[in-house]
Amino acid sequence: MPKYAMVIDQRRCVACMACVVACKNENEVPPDQYRTRVLEMVEGEFPLLRMELRSELCNHCDNPPCVYNCPTGASYKRKEDGIVLLRKNRCVGCKACVAACPYSARYINHEKGFADKCTFCDHRLKEGKEPACVATCIGKSRIFGDMDDPRSPVRVALQGSDATVLLEGAGTKPRVYYIKKFSKPE
Amino acid sequence: MEITVTGVNALTSPHLHIWDWRVSLYLFLGGLSAGLAVMTTILHLRQGGKLVKDEAAGYVAPILVPVILGIGMLFIFLDLERKLNVFWFYLTFQPLSPMSWGSWGLLVFFPVSGLLALATLPDNMLHWLLLEPLKQLAVRMRGYLFPLAAVNFAMGIFIGIYTGVLLSSFVARPLWNSAVLPVLFLTSAMSVGAALMIMIARTNKVKLFFTKIDIWMICGEMVILPLFFYGQYTSSGAHRDSILPFFSLSSEYFSYGCSMLVLFIIFPIALVLKMLEIKEEHGHTLTPMALAKMNLSAGIVLVGGLIIRLTFVYAGQLSKLS
Repeated sequence: MPKYAMVIDQRRCVACMACVVACKNENEVPPDQYRTRVLEMVEGEFPLLRMELRSELCNHCDNPPCVYNCPTGASYKRKEDGIVLLRKNRCVGCKACVAACPYSARYINHEKGFADKCTFCDHRLKEGKEPACVATCIGKSRIFGDMDDPRSPVRVALQGSDATVLLEGAGTKPRVYYIKKFSKPE
Repeated sequence: MEITVTGVNALTSPHLHIWDWRVSLYLFLGGLSAGLAVMTTILHLRQGGKLVKDEAAGYVAPILVPVILGIGMLFIFLDLERKLNVFWFYLTFQPLSPMSWGSWGLLVFFPVSGLLALATLPDNMLHWLLLEPLKQLAVRMRGYLFPLAAVNFAMGIFIGIYTGVLLSSFVARPLWNSAVLPVLFLTSAMSVGAALMIMIARTNKVKLFFTKIDIWMICGEMVILPLFFYGQYTSSGAHRDSILPFFSLSSEYFSYGCSMLVLFIIFPIALVLKMLEIKEEHGHTLTPMALAKMNLSAGIVLVGGLIIRLTFVYAGQLSKLS
Protein backbone atom coordinates (compact mmCIF):
# COMPACT_ATOMS: atom_id res chain seq x y z
CA MET A 1 0.00 0.00 0.00
CA PRO A 2 1.50 3.37 -0.95
CA LYS A 3 1.70 6.22 1.50
CA TYR A 4 1.46 9.26 -0.72
CA ALA A 5 3.14 12.52 0.20
CA MET A 6 4.34 15.69 -1.49
CA VAL A 7 7.51 17.66 -1.07
CA ILE A 8 7.62 21.35 -1.97
CA ASP A 9 11.23 22.29 -2.62
CA GLN A 10 10.90 26.02 -2.10
CA ARG A 11 14.43 26.58 -3.37
CA ARG A 12 13.33 25.56 -6.83
CA CYS A 13 10.03 27.45 -7.03
CA VAL A 14 9.98 30.40 -9.47
CA ALA A 15 6.35 31.39 -8.80
CA CYS A 16 5.33 30.79 -12.40
CA MET A 17 1.86 29.75 -11.16
CA ALA A 18 1.77 26.87 -13.62
CA CYS A 19 0.69 24.58 -10.76
CA VAL A 20 -2.28 26.84 -9.97
CA VAL A 21 -3.37 26.88 -13.60
CA ALA A 22 -2.81 23.14 -14.13
CA CYS A 23 -4.85 22.31 -11.02
CA LYS A 24 -7.76 24.50 -12.08
CA ASN A 25 -7.73 23.03 -15.56
CA GLU A 26 -7.40 19.41 -14.44
CA ASN A 27 -10.04 19.53 -11.73
CA GLU A 28 -12.53 21.94 -13.28
CA VAL A 29 -12.26 24.32 -10.36
CA PRO A 30 -14.71 27.27 -10.69
CA PRO A 31 -13.17 30.47 -12.14
CA ASP A 32 -12.57 32.45 -8.93
CA GLN A 33 -11.75 29.50 -6.67
CA TYR A 34 -8.55 27.52 -6.12
CA ARG A 35 -7.33 24.21 -4.70
CA THR A 36 -3.74 25.37 -4.51
CA ARG A 37 -2.06 28.75 -4.14
CA VAL A 38 1.38 30.32 -4.20
CA LEU A 39 2.51 32.77 -1.53
CA GLU A 40 5.20 35.33 -2.28
CA MET A 41 6.51 36.72 0.99
CA VAL A 42 8.97 39.59 0.88
CA GLU A 43 10.75 40.62 4.07
CA GLY A 44 13.56 42.93 5.08
CA GLU A 45 14.35 46.49 4.09
CA PHE A 46 15.62 47.63 0.73
CA PRO A 47 18.22 46.76 -0.46
CA LEU A 48 18.44 43.81 1.95
CA LEU A 49 15.33 42.01 0.77
CA ARG A 50 14.50 38.36 0.84
CA MET A 51 11.64 36.60 -0.92
CA GLU A 52 10.13 33.29 0.09
CA LEU A 53 7.93 31.45 -2.37
CA ARG A 54 5.64 28.83 -0.96
CA SER A 55 3.02 26.65 -2.64
CA GLU A 56 0.16 25.61 -0.39
CA LEU A 57 -2.47 22.93 -0.81
CA CYS A 58 -4.35 20.34 1.25
CA ASN A 59 -1.82 18.66 3.55
CA HIS A 60 -3.63 15.31 3.59
CA CYS A 61 -2.97 15.21 7.32
CA ASP A 62 -2.59 11.92 9.18
CA ASN A 63 -4.57 13.56 11.97
CA PRO A 64 -7.12 15.44 9.85
CA PRO A 65 -9.39 17.88 11.75
CA CYS A 66 -11.63 18.24 8.69
CA VAL A 67 -12.42 14.52 8.78
CA TYR A 68 -13.01 14.52 12.54
CA ASN A 69 -15.43 17.45 12.29
CA CYS A 70 -17.43 16.15 9.33
CA PRO A 71 -20.90 15.24 10.68
CA THR A 72 -21.91 13.00 7.78
CA GLY A 73 -18.73 11.07 7.03
CA ALA A 74 -18.44 12.83 3.67
CA SER A 75 -14.81 13.70 4.40
CA TYR A 76 -12.67 10.66 4.96
CA LYS A 77 -9.06 9.52 4.92
CA ARG A 78 -8.57 6.63 2.54
CA LYS A 79 -6.94 3.75 4.36
CA GLU A 80 -5.10 2.43 1.31
CA ASP A 81 -2.95 5.49 0.64
CA GLY A 82 -3.79 8.10 3.30
CA ILE A 83 -5.30 10.64 0.90
CA VAL A 84 -8.03 12.80 2.43
CA LEU A 85 -11.02 12.70 0.10
CA LEU A 86 -14.67 13.73 -0.07
CA ARG A 87 -17.77 11.71 -0.86
CA LYS A 88 -19.51 14.54 -2.70
CA ASN A 89 -22.96 12.97 -2.57
CA ARG A 90 -22.81 12.94 1.25
CA CYS A 91 -21.66 16.53 1.75
CA VAL A 92 -24.36 18.79 3.23
CA GLY A 93 -22.30 21.97 2.92
CA CYS A 94 -22.27 22.66 6.67
CA LYS A 95 -18.76 24.16 6.32
CA ALA A 96 -17.45 22.51 9.50
CA CYS A 97 -14.46 21.15 7.56
CA VAL A 98 -13.67 24.61 6.17
CA ALA A 99 -13.61 25.99 9.74
CA ALA A 100 -11.62 23.01 11.02
CA CYS A 101 -8.77 23.19 8.51
CA PRO A 102 -5.83 25.20 9.90
CA TYR A 103 -4.37 25.48 6.38
CA SER A 104 -7.42 27.11 4.74
CA ALA A 105 -7.24 24.33 2.18
CA ARG A 106 -10.96 23.86 1.77
CA TYR A 107 -13.60 25.98 0.10
CA ILE A 108 -17.23 25.60 -0.84
CA ASN A 109 -17.48 24.98 -4.57
CA HIS A 110 -19.98 27.69 -5.35
CA GLU A 111 -21.20 25.94 -8.47
CA LYS A 112 -21.96 22.62 -6.76
CA GLY A 113 -22.13 23.47 -3.05
CA PHE A 114 -19.80 20.81 -1.65
CA ALA A 115 -16.62 21.40 0.37
CA ASP A 116 -13.96 20.95 -2.28
CA LYS A 117 -10.21 20.52 -1.87
CA CYS A 118 -7.07 19.01 -3.40
CA THR A 119 -7.26 15.26 -3.92
CA PHE A 120 -3.63 14.78 -5.03
CA CYS A 121 -5.37 14.30 -8.44
CA ASP A 122 -6.71 10.94 -7.32
CA HIS A 123 -8.09 10.24 -10.81
CA ARG A 124 -4.61 10.68 -12.32
CA LEU A 125 -2.98 8.47 -9.67
CA LYS A 126 -5.33 5.66 -10.71
CA GLU A 127 -3.89 5.98 -14.23
CA GLY A 128 -0.34 5.85 -12.90
CA LYS A 129 0.23 9.57 -13.47
CA GLU A 130 1.49 12.26 -11.10
CA PRO A 131 -0.81 15.02 -9.83
CA ALA A 132 -1.27 17.74 -12.47
CA CYS A 133 0.61 20.37 -10.44
CA VAL A 134 3.61 18.06 -10.11
CA ALA A 135 3.62 17.06 -13.76
CA THR A 136 3.54 20.70 -14.86
CA CYS A 137 6.06 22.15 -12.38
CA ILE A 138 8.89 23.50 -14.55
CA GLY A 139 11.34 23.98 -11.68
CA LYS A 140 10.66 20.54 -10.24
CA SER A 141 9.70 22.25 -7.03
CA ARG A 142 6.73 19.99 -6.47
CA ILE A 143 7.74 16.39 -5.88
CA PHE A 144 5.30 13.54 -5.34
CA GLY A 145 5.64 9.92 -4.38
CA ASP A 146 5.27 7.06 -1.94
CA MET A 147 6.85 7.62 1.47
CA ASP A 148 7.17 3.87 1.99
CA ASP A 149 9.29 3.43 -1.12
CA PRO A 150 12.93 4.35 -0.40
CA ARG A 151 13.54 5.05 -4.11
CA SER A 152 10.54 7.32 -4.58
CA PRO A 153 11.25 10.99 -5.46
CA VAL A 154 9.84 12.22 -2.14
CA ARG A 155 12.12 10.00 -0.07
CA VAL A 156 15.12 11.00 -2.16
CA ALA A 157 14.24 14.69 -1.86
CA LEU A 158 13.77 14.48 1.90
CA GLN A 159 17.03 12.65 2.48
CA GLY A 160 19.47 14.91 4.30
CA SER A 161 17.26 17.96 3.94
CA ASP A 162 15.87 20.24 6.63
CA ALA A 163 12.27 19.56 5.68
CA THR A 164 9.50 21.08 7.75
CA VAL A 165 5.73 20.95 7.73
CA LEU A 166 3.29 23.82 8.13
CA LEU A 167 1.91 24.50 11.62
CA GLU A 168 3.64 21.50 13.15
CA GLY A 169 2.39 22.54 16.59
CA ALA A 170 -1.23 21.98 15.51
CA GLY A 171 -0.56 18.24 15.66
CA THR A 172 -2.22 17.47 12.34
CA LYS A 173 0.77 15.50 10.99
CA PRO A 174 0.73 16.88 7.44
CA ARG A 175 1.93 14.89 4.45
CA VAL A 176 3.16 17.91 2.55
CA TYR A 177 6.78 18.70 3.41
CA TYR A 178 8.64 21.92 2.72
CA ILE A 179 12.35 22.20 1.97
CA LYS A 180 13.22 25.80 2.64
CA LYS A 181 16.88 25.95 3.54
CA PHE A 182 19.93 24.96 1.56
CA SER A 183 21.76 22.20 3.40
CA LYS A 184 25.24 22.92 4.76
CA PRO A 185 28.08 22.37 2.26
CA GLU A 186 29.95 19.15 2.95
CA MET B 1 6.48 41.43 5.60
CA GLU B 2 4.67 41.91 2.31
CA ILE B 3 2.66 38.91 1.18
CA THR B 4 1.20 38.37 -2.27
CA VAL B 5 -0.96 35.31 -2.71
CA THR B 6 -2.05 33.90 -6.04
CA GLY B 7 -4.96 31.54 -5.67
CA VAL B 8 -6.86 32.64 -2.57
CA ASN B 9 -10.44 31.67 -1.91
CA ALA B 10 -12.60 34.54 -0.73
CA LEU B 11 -14.26 32.19 1.77
CA THR B 12 -11.06 31.67 3.76
CA SER B 13 -8.90 34.69 2.99
CA PRO B 14 -8.01 37.14 4.44
CA HIS B 15 -10.03 35.45 7.15
CA LEU B 16 -12.76 32.87 7.44
CA HIS B 17 -16.30 33.98 6.79
CA ILE B 18 -18.32 30.84 6.53
CA TRP B 19 -20.83 31.25 9.32
CA ASP B 20 -22.96 34.35 9.70
CA TRP B 21 -25.92 35.58 11.75
CA ARG B 22 -27.90 32.44 10.89
CA VAL B 23 -25.48 30.25 12.84
CA SER B 24 -25.32 32.82 15.65
CA LEU B 25 -29.11 32.82 15.87
CA TYR B 26 -29.18 29.02 15.81
CA LEU B 27 -26.72 28.88 18.69
CA PHE B 28 -28.70 31.50 20.59
CA LEU B 29 -32.12 29.94 20.01
CA GLY B 30 -30.72 26.45 20.66
CA GLY B 31 -29.28 27.71 23.95
CA LEU B 32 -32.51 29.53 24.79
CA SER B 33 -34.66 26.46 24.21
CA ALA B 34 -32.19 24.32 26.17
CA GLY B 35 -32.21 26.76 29.09
CA LEU B 36 -36.00 27.04 29.00
CA ALA B 37 -36.29 23.23 28.98
CA VAL B 38 -34.15 22.98 32.12
CA MET B 39 -36.14 25.77 33.81
CA THR B 40 -39.41 24.07 32.80
CA THR B 41 -38.32 20.88 34.51
CA ILE B 42 -37.32 22.83 37.62
CA LEU B 43 -40.71 24.60 37.58
CA HIS B 44 -42.58 21.31 37.42
CA LEU B 45 -40.51 19.29 39.86
CA ARG B 46 -39.46 21.89 42.43
CA GLN B 47 -41.32 21.76 45.75
CA GLY B 48 -43.12 18.60 44.64
CA GLY B 49 -44.98 20.49 41.90
CA LYS B 50 -46.34 23.22 44.21
CA LEU B 51 -44.50 25.96 42.32
CA VAL B 52 -46.34 25.27 39.08
CA LYS B 53 -49.80 25.48 40.66
CA ASP B 54 -51.92 28.24 39.05
CA GLU B 55 -48.95 29.17 36.88
CA ALA B 56 -49.49 29.67 33.15
CA ALA B 57 -45.77 29.23 32.50
CA GLY B 58 -46.30 25.60 33.48
CA TYR B 59 -47.76 24.93 30.03
CA VAL B 60 -46.59 27.98 28.04
CA ALA B 61 -42.87 27.31 28.63
CA PRO B 62 -42.99 23.65 27.50
CA ILE B 63 -44.80 24.75 24.32
CA LEU B 64 -42.20 27.44 23.66
CA VAL B 65 -39.27 25.00 23.95
CA PRO B 66 -39.90 23.04 20.71
CA VAL B 67 -41.15 26.19 18.95
CA ILE B 68 -37.94 28.13 19.69
CA LEU B 69 -35.83 25.07 18.91
CA GLY B 70 -37.66 24.61 15.60
CA ILE B 71 -36.98 28.24 14.62
CA GLY B 72 -33.31 27.77 15.54
CA MET B 73 -33.09 24.59 13.48
CA LEU B 74 -34.65 26.44 10.56
CA PHE B 75 -31.79 28.95 10.67
CA ILE B 76 -29.09 26.25 10.67
CA PHE B 77 -30.91 24.52 7.83
CA LEU B 78 -30.88 27.78 5.86
CA ASP B 79 -27.10 27.92 6.35
CA LEU B 80 -26.50 24.53 4.70
CA GLU B 81 -25.12 24.77 1.16
CA ARG B 82 -26.71 21.49 0.05
CA LYS B 83 -30.05 21.42 1.80
CA LEU B 84 -31.37 18.37 -0.01
CA ASN B 85 -28.57 16.26 1.50
CA VAL B 86 -29.66 17.05 5.06
CA PHE B 87 -30.89 13.47 5.55
CA TRP B 88 -27.24 12.33 5.63
CA PHE B 89 -27.01 13.69 9.18
CA TYR B 90 -29.28 10.83 10.18
CA LEU B 91 -27.85 8.03 8.09
CA THR B 92 -24.58 8.04 9.97
CA PHE B 93 -23.11 8.80 13.38
CA GLN B 94 -19.65 10.32 13.56
CA PRO B 95 -18.44 10.06 17.17
CA LEU B 96 -15.68 12.65 16.74
CA SER B 97 -17.93 15.29 15.19
CA PRO B 98 -19.79 17.53 17.66
CA MET B 99 -22.18 18.46 14.85
CA SER B 100 -23.12 14.80 14.47
CA TRP B 101 -23.74 14.51 18.22
CA GLY B 102 -25.80 17.69 18.05
CA SER B 103 -27.93 16.60 15.12
CA TRP B 104 -28.78 13.31 16.86
CA GLY B 105 -29.29 15.15 20.16
CA LEU B 106 -31.77 17.51 18.51
CA LEU B 107 -33.60 14.51 17.11
CA VAL B 108 -34.14 13.26 20.69
CA PHE B 109 -34.70 16.68 22.27
CA PHE B 110 -37.34 17.86 19.81
CA PRO B 111 -39.90 15.03 20.36
CA VAL B 112 -39.19 14.82 24.09
CA SER B 113 -39.87 18.54 24.52
CA GLY B 114 -42.98 18.14 22.37
CA LEU B 115 -44.24 15.27 24.52
CA LEU B 116 -43.60 17.29 27.68
CA ALA B 117 -45.58 20.17 26.16
CA LEU B 118 -48.48 17.77 25.60
CA ALA B 119 -48.16 16.27 29.08
CA THR B 120 -48.30 19.67 30.77
CA LEU B 121 -51.29 20.96 28.82
CA PRO B 122 -54.16 21.50 31.31
CA ASP B 123 -57.67 20.13 30.68
CA ASN B 124 -59.11 23.50 29.70
CA MET B 125 -56.47 23.84 26.97
CA LEU B 126 -56.90 20.41 25.42
CA HIS B 127 -59.31 21.86 22.86
CA TRP B 128 -56.24 23.56 21.27
CA LEU B 129 -55.30 20.16 19.97
CA LEU B 130 -57.29 19.72 16.80
CA LEU B 131 -56.63 16.00 16.36
CA GLU B 132 -58.26 13.47 18.63
CA PRO B 133 -55.17 11.16 18.78
CA LEU B 134 -53.12 14.14 20.01
CA LYS B 135 -55.62 14.73 22.81
CA GLN B 136 -55.41 11.07 23.79
CA LEU B 137 -51.62 11.23 23.68
CA ALA B 138 -51.61 14.36 25.86
CA VAL B 139 -53.74 12.62 28.48
CA ARG B 140 -51.61 9.49 28.35
CA MET B 141 -48.34 11.47 28.67
CA ARG B 142 -49.49 13.00 31.97
CA GLY B 143 -48.60 9.71 33.59
CA TYR B 144 -45.03 10.11 32.38
CA LEU B 145 -44.53 13.71 33.48
CA PHE B 146 -41.61 12.97 35.79
CA PRO B 147 -39.53 10.88 33.37
CA LEU B 148 -40.29 13.29 30.51
CA ALA B 149 -39.24 16.25 32.64
CA ALA B 150 -36.07 14.43 33.70
CA VAL B 151 -35.11 13.60 30.09
CA ASN B 152 -35.98 17.18 29.11
CA PHE B 153 -33.61 18.43 31.81
CA ALA B 154 -30.79 16.16 30.65
CA MET B 155 -31.30 17.05 27.00
CA GLY B 156 -31.43 20.76 27.91
CA ILE B 157 -28.01 20.49 29.53
CA PHE B 158 -26.74 18.46 26.56
CA ILE B 159 -27.93 20.96 23.94
CA GLY B 160 -26.80 23.93 26.05
CA ILE B 161 -23.27 22.59 26.31
CA TYR B 162 -23.23 21.27 22.73
CA THR B 163 -23.65 24.77 21.27
CA GLY B 164 -20.29 25.62 22.84
CA VAL B 165 -18.58 22.31 22.07
CA LEU B 166 -19.51 22.79 18.41
CA LEU B 167 -17.22 25.82 18.28
CA SER B 168 -14.58 24.68 20.76
CA SER B 169 -13.67 21.59 18.72
CA PHE B 170 -11.92 23.60 16.00
CA VAL B 171 -8.18 23.53 16.64
CA ALA B 172 -7.74 25.89 13.69
CA ARG B 173 -9.72 28.71 15.38
CA PRO B 174 -7.91 29.75 18.56
CA LEU B 175 -10.75 31.89 19.92
CA TRP B 176 -13.16 28.97 19.85
CA ASN B 177 -10.65 26.29 20.79
CA SER B 178 -11.12 26.59 24.55
CA ALA B 179 -12.67 24.17 27.02
CA VAL B 180 -14.15 27.15 28.86
CA LEU B 181 -16.35 28.13 25.90
CA PRO B 182 -18.88 25.26 26.33
CA VAL B 183 -19.19 26.14 30.03
CA LEU B 184 -19.77 29.80 29.13
CA PHE B 185 -22.40 28.88 26.54
CA LEU B 186 -24.12 26.48 28.96
CA THR B 187 -24.26 29.10 31.71
CA SER B 188 -25.51 31.68 29.23
CA ALA B 189 -28.15 29.21 27.99
CA MET B 190 -29.41 28.64 31.54
CA SER B 191 -29.40 32.37 32.19
CA VAL B 192 -31.44 33.26 29.10
CA GLY B 193 -33.77 30.33 29.83
CA ALA B 194 -34.43 31.67 33.33
CA ALA B 195 -34.89 35.19 31.90
CA LEU B 196 -37.51 34.01 29.42
CA MET B 197 -39.24 32.07 32.20
CA ILE B 198 -39.42 35.29 34.25
CA MET B 199 -41.03 37.05 31.29
CA ILE B 200 -43.71 34.42 30.70
CA ALA B 201 -44.48 33.58 34.35
CA ARG B 202 -47.57 35.24 35.82
CA THR B 203 -47.25 34.67 39.56
CA ASN B 204 -44.92 36.56 41.87
CA LYS B 205 -43.40 33.53 43.48
CA VAL B 206 -42.39 31.96 40.17
CA LYS B 207 -40.97 35.22 38.82
CA LEU B 208 -38.95 35.76 42.00
CA PHE B 209 -37.82 32.14 42.14
CA PHE B 210 -36.38 32.31 38.64
CA THR B 211 -34.95 35.76 39.34
CA LYS B 212 -32.89 34.13 42.09
CA ILE B 213 -31.75 31.42 39.68
CA ASP B 214 -30.86 34.03 37.08
CA ILE B 215 -28.78 35.97 39.62
CA TRP B 216 -26.62 32.89 40.13
CA MET B 217 -26.34 32.32 36.38
CA ILE B 218 -25.37 35.94 35.68
CA CYS B 219 -22.77 35.73 38.46
CA GLY B 220 -21.48 32.57 36.78
CA GLU B 221 -21.22 34.33 33.42
CA MET B 222 -19.45 37.29 35.01
CA VAL B 223 -16.85 34.91 36.43
CA ILE B 224 -16.49 32.61 33.40
CA LEU B 225 -16.18 35.39 30.80
CA PRO B 226 -13.08 37.00 32.38
CA LEU B 227 -11.66 33.51 33.05
CA PHE B 228 -12.10 32.69 29.38
CA PHE B 229 -10.16 35.82 28.38
CA TYR B 230 -7.52 35.11 31.03
CA GLY B 231 -7.08 31.58 29.68
CA GLN B 232 -6.71 32.85 26.14
CA TYR B 233 -4.29 35.62 27.17
CA THR B 234 -1.99 33.25 29.03
CA SER B 235 -2.07 30.63 26.26
CA SER B 236 -0.19 30.61 22.93
CA GLY B 237 0.41 33.71 20.82
CA ALA B 238 -2.44 32.77 18.47
CA HIS B 239 -4.83 32.41 21.40
CA ARG B 240 -3.71 35.74 22.80
CA ASP B 241 -4.17 37.45 19.44
CA SER B 242 -7.61 35.90 19.07
CA ILE B 243 -9.11 37.99 21.88
CA LEU B 244 -7.65 41.25 20.54
CA PRO B 245 -10.89 42.26 18.73
CA PHE B 246 -12.73 42.34 22.06
CA PHE B 247 -10.28 44.80 23.56
CA SER B 248 -9.83 47.18 20.68
CA LEU B 249 -11.94 50.08 19.54
CA SER B 250 -10.07 50.53 16.26
CA SER B 251 -12.20 50.83 13.14
CA GLU B 252 -11.44 47.21 12.23
CA TYR B 253 -12.69 45.76 15.50
CA PHE B 254 -15.06 48.51 16.63
CA SER B 255 -18.17 46.32 16.76
CA TYR B 256 -16.38 43.66 18.86
CA GLY B 257 -14.94 46.20 21.29
CA CYS B 258 -18.35 47.86 21.66
CA SER B 259 -20.04 44.48 22.16
CA MET B 260 -17.69 43.65 25.00
CA LEU B 261 -18.21 47.07 26.57
CA VAL B 262 -21.97 46.55 26.35
CA LEU B 263 -21.64 43.09 27.97
CA PHE B 264 -19.50 44.46 30.78
CA ILE B 265 -22.13 47.15 31.39
CA ILE B 266 -25.41 45.30 30.93
CA PHE B 267 -24.63 42.20 32.98
CA PRO B 268 -23.92 44.18 36.17
CA ILE B 269 -27.01 46.34 35.48
CA ALA B 270 -29.16 43.21 35.10
CA LEU B 271 -27.63 41.80 38.26
CA VAL B 272 -28.32 44.93 40.31
CA LEU B 273 -31.89 45.17 39.00
CA LYS B 274 -32.51 41.55 39.92
CA MET B 275 -30.99 41.99 43.37
CA LEU B 276 -33.33 44.93 43.96
CA GLU B 277 -36.28 42.89 42.71
CA ILE B 278 -35.79 40.14 45.26
CA LYS B 279 -35.14 42.59 48.10
CA GLU B 280 -38.20 44.69 47.31
CA GLU B 281 -41.45 44.01 49.18
CA HIS B 282 -43.99 42.81 46.63
CA GLY B 283 -47.72 42.56 47.25
CA HIS B 284 -49.94 39.78 45.93
CA THR B 285 -49.75 41.26 42.45
CA LEU B 286 -46.83 43.10 40.98
CA THR B 287 -47.14 46.81 40.28
CA PRO B 288 -46.74 47.79 36.61
CA MET B 289 -43.42 49.43 37.51
CA ALA B 290 -42.09 46.29 39.22
CA LEU B 291 -43.26 44.21 36.29
CA ALA B 292 -41.56 46.54 33.82
CA LYS B 293 -38.31 46.36 35.79
CA MET B 294 -38.45 42.56 35.84
CA ASN B 295 -39.08 42.40 32.12
CA LEU B 296 -36.34 44.96 31.50
CA SER B 297 -33.73 43.01 33.44
CA ALA B 298 -34.82 39.75 31.76
CA GLY B 299 -34.69 41.45 28.36
CA ILE B 300 -31.17 42.69 29.12
CA VAL B 301 -30.08 39.12 29.87
CA LEU B 302 -31.57 37.91 26.57
CA VAL B 303 -29.75 40.66 24.66
CA GLY B 304 -26.51 39.72 26.48
CA GLY B 305 -26.91 36.08 25.42
CA LEU B 306 -27.47 37.08 21.82
CA ILE B 307 -24.43 39.42 21.85
CA ILE B 308 -22.23 36.59 23.19
CA ARG B 309 -23.24 34.27 20.33
CA LEU B 310 -22.95 36.91 17.62
CA THR B 311 -19.56 38.23 18.70
CA PHE B 312 -18.01 34.83 19.36
CA VAL B 313 -19.14 33.37 16.04
CA TYR B 314 -17.81 36.33 14.07
CA ALA B 315 -14.64 37.00 16.09
CA GLY B 316 -13.69 33.31 16.04
CA GLN B 317 -13.53 33.48 12.28
CA LEU B 318 -10.96 36.28 12.47
CA SER B 319 -8.62 34.07 14.49
CA LYS B 320 -6.20 31.54 13.05
CA LEU B 321 -3.11 29.62 14.04
CA SER B 322 -0.62 31.17 11.63
